[in-house]
Amino acid sequence: MASIGVSCTDAYTPRDSQNLRVFSIWTMAAAVSFATATILIGERIIDRGVLAWSLAGLTLLLSLLAIRSYLIFLRAADELLRRIQLEGLALGFGAGAVFMMSYRLFERLGAPKLDSNDPFIIMAVFWALGQYIGMRRYSGGEGR
Amino acid sequence: MTNRLRELRGQHGWSQGDLAERLGVSRQTVNAIETGKYDPSLPLAFTIAALFTLRIEEIFSPNGSGVAASTLAPPRPPNRDFID
Repeated sequence: MASIGVSCTDAYTPRDSQNLRVFSIWTMAAAVSFATATILIGERIIDRGVLAWSLAGLTLLLSLLAIRSYLIFLRAADELLRRIQLEGLALGFGAGAVFMMSYRLFERLGAPKLDSNDPFIIMAVFWALGQYIGMRRYSGGEGR
Repeated sequence: MTNRLRELRGQHGWSQGDLAERLGVSRQTVNAIETGKYDPSLPLAFTIAALFTLRIEEIFSPNGSGVAASTLAPPRPPNRDFID
């Protein structure tokens, strides 16, 4: 983050850093569980038994815990950081929604069909972009 | 909205980080308020005022002129001609 004129320690209070760490841990756990479940169930390494259902359930549970930890982070966040996060979320959600609606028209015109996960990639990219723009907008000026 | 935060911080000899720690916010927030890029919430404005033992209107000025409330003319008493 130093390249945009503000370091992470400048933008986050110790409490924010701690909450963000917890969110990152749950997100990583959910991502690993999702990837594992996708491979094991998708490749039929484990069949539709109790184990497969448990793995899918575990992925859902970890994802919900990641959302919960993000809400805790957002509610307790420094007020400027909260604004930047919300602006990033708004841009991500908006870009994802617009992409989902408009790309169907392009598909009818002959554009390649996209995977159902692609709008989520657009959302994530624009969420990150929104945070970058927010950090830039509110940083700068005389430091220290 | 303009404010005297940088001036008041300077009077106390605090860095932006020192002030941020006292207010429980990030240094980026203090910097954004000082540079006028961000207007604080009312609870944070009250916290800032309490820290410097001043009134909010002595620190923040809504008119953009940078004139603190203490330098403005006091409010006129109500016109009692009609009553008297």
